[in-house]
Amino acid sequence: MASESQKKGAQSPETRPLLFLAEYETAGDVFHAAEHVRDAGYEKWDVHTPFPVHGMDKAMGLKDSKVAWIVLVMGLTGCTTAFLMMWWMNGHDYPLVIGGKPGFSLPSMIPVMFELTVLLSAFGAVFGMLGINQLPKHWHPVFFSDRFERCSDDRFFISIEAADPKFDLEETKALLEGTHPSHVELISEEVEQ
Amino acid sequence: MSKPAKKEGKAPTYRIPADSPWASAWKLAAGLGAVGVAASVAGMFIDAHRFAFSWLFAFMFFLALGLGGLFFTLGQHLTGAGWGVPLRRTAEMLMSGLPVFLVLSAPIFIHMHELYPWLEHHGAEHGADHGGGHDEGHGGAHGGHDEHGLLGIAASAARADELPRDPWDQRPHERAPETRTHTPEHAMHAEIMSTKGWYLNQGFFFIRAGIYFIAWILLAYFFFTWSTRQDKEKGLALTKRMETAAPFATFVFGFSLTFAAFDWMMALEPSWYSTIYGVIYFAIAAIIAHATIILLTLGMSRAGIFGDAISVEHFHDIGKLLHGFVIFWAYVSVSQFLLIWYAGIPEEATYYHLRWWGGGSWMNVSVILVVAGFVIPFFLLMSRNFKRNLPWLGFAAAWILVMQVVQLYWLVMPYAEQTGLVETQLRLHWLDFAAFVGVGGVYMAVVLWNMTRFPLVPVGDPRLSRGLHHEVV
Repeated sequence: MASESQKKGAQSPETRPLLFLAEYETAGDVFHAAEHVRDAGYEKWDVHTPFPVHGMDKAMGLKDSKVAWIVLVMGLTGCTTAFLMMWWMNGHDYPLVIGGKPGFSLPSMIPVMFELTVLLSAFGAVFGMLGINQLPKHWHPVFFSDRFERCSDDRFFISIEAADPKFDLEETKALLEGTHPSHVELISEEVEQ
Repeated sequence: MSKPAKKEGKAPTYRIPADSPWASAWKLAAGLGAVGVAASVAGMFIDAHRFAFSWLFAFMFFLALGLGGLFFTLGQHLTGAGWGVPLRRTAEMLMSGLPVFLVLSAPIFIHMHELYPWLEHHGAEHGADHGGGHDEGHGGAHGGHDEHGLLGIAASAARADELPRDPWDQRPHERAPETRTHTPEHAMHAEIMSTKGWYLNQGFFFIRAGIYFIAWILLAYFFFTWSTRQDKEKGLALTKRMETAAPFATFVFGFSLTFAAFDWMMALEPSWYSTIYGVIYFAIAAIIAHATIILLTLGMSRAGIFGDAISVEHFHDIGKLLHGFVIFWAYVSVSQFLLIWYAGIPEEATYYHLRWWGGGSWMNVSVILVVAGFVIPFFLLMSRNFKRNLPWLGFAAAWILVMQVVQLYWLVMPYAEQTGLVETQLRLHWLDFAAFVGVGGVYMAVVLWNMTRFPLVPVGDPRLSRGLHHEVV
């Protein structure tokens, strides 16, 4: 299917390019290729490897994750929410004497404040991570490539999306071919009338 | 991966150069220690009671440092971690000072009668030393009771009837003076004490102390000699031996630390107990050791001793551990507090009552511990960028270390000035500083001297190269 669409993409005017996919045989190759793509100034691109490659975030020029800020905001929200909730319920709206303690009493709030901080922080970490990674994602143009299956085995890939402002059929292809890939392919989709 | 090609030349030895100030740091520590010990001994003749408490406070702080070093070393072998190998030797150096505490503990055992009220209770039970030397509360109507002599726990249940109103409603200083040590809780506490004699008696106390010291000295000796022998022998055999021994050693470490904390600190208030007390002391030990490892390695890598063996990646990781242990310490401390606060049972509440309403400025110290001991360090070490900013990390580690000194002071010293079960005052004494400098100087002299004798990175460890190229992803 992928090769068909690719062939059609080369001939038919009714297709549009989605991304370039370059295949590499070693982690070292993909690492240095990523540095080249980074230096060329691309933004919408990614590296696909069967295992984590140390230092790849630097080679790709990735900035620090924003998840930490989401977690901080969520954690502070949880802490404040718990405090306000217990102050309103136990201290103001419906004070109950439990164990002879005052209704508004800080020690009894600590567990709830702690738990809600942790709960919302964990939500922020998990869902923030999923959101920033745009997961779950059921479809991606790289799945059109048969060769991409080896990404979970022994091959390394770089994909540059056509949505990138610097994307150019000739220039991008030349850039990728200059990084010693074992294969470069263009993935396109048919345009419906 | 980022720097695969290092310039090949002579291999670094990771030893302190003879002309480095670190090479003679142990002499400075030894000098300070000698002055501190001399001043403490002089203080012992002036005020033996205060000397015993000051010494115990200093002893428990630096013992925590040594035990924390042992814990870090064992943790590295338990997990088989690669990242921490370049840091492990520093922890082993802290651990190598543990045998000194056998000598440094002598004042505690010599002056144990100043420290532990249960000794008098025990003595009273056997008819010896009846009422031993305490000037309060023996005039009760029930002269036949055996429970006399316990500091501030002079039992006199009969007097309870004479109290004008429920004593729980009153803070100690609000009560009439003559009722301060004759409240029902004292009778209750004396009763609790009579059931603890099988554990809290002098003979068993000495036997247990001997077991702890044997355990610590053996653990420190074996893990230190194996590791330093590997510097020359290389190879995997010694790594395997240490990893095989680590799980059992961890059990020995955990039990000995827990019961040492029970025996030497919790027994200062023998009628009170908390099963999590040992865990709190463990958390303190872990915090102190991690903060000290950060400060020592930071100082020495500034002097260029570590070459590029220790990088910002290692400091980032140990900074995370320090952050985690500060949270852990707060968690277990609050756990203990919440159970006691919720239940509000008199014999348990004394511990916090003493440190809150007990008098002096102890309430302020308690607040400082919560705010400056937990809340501020929690934010000081929260961000990744903070932990990778080395001057900032060093500042945070020093801050935390100072707060742990306050924590140990808070644990031990309320009993030094205790005038009743829940009455004390905060009084700084020059002996506190003298003992701290004395114990710390002697212990650190041994640690720093050992540092001049061995490479400061386990150069024979097969995992070292993994640790050298460690990177936090």
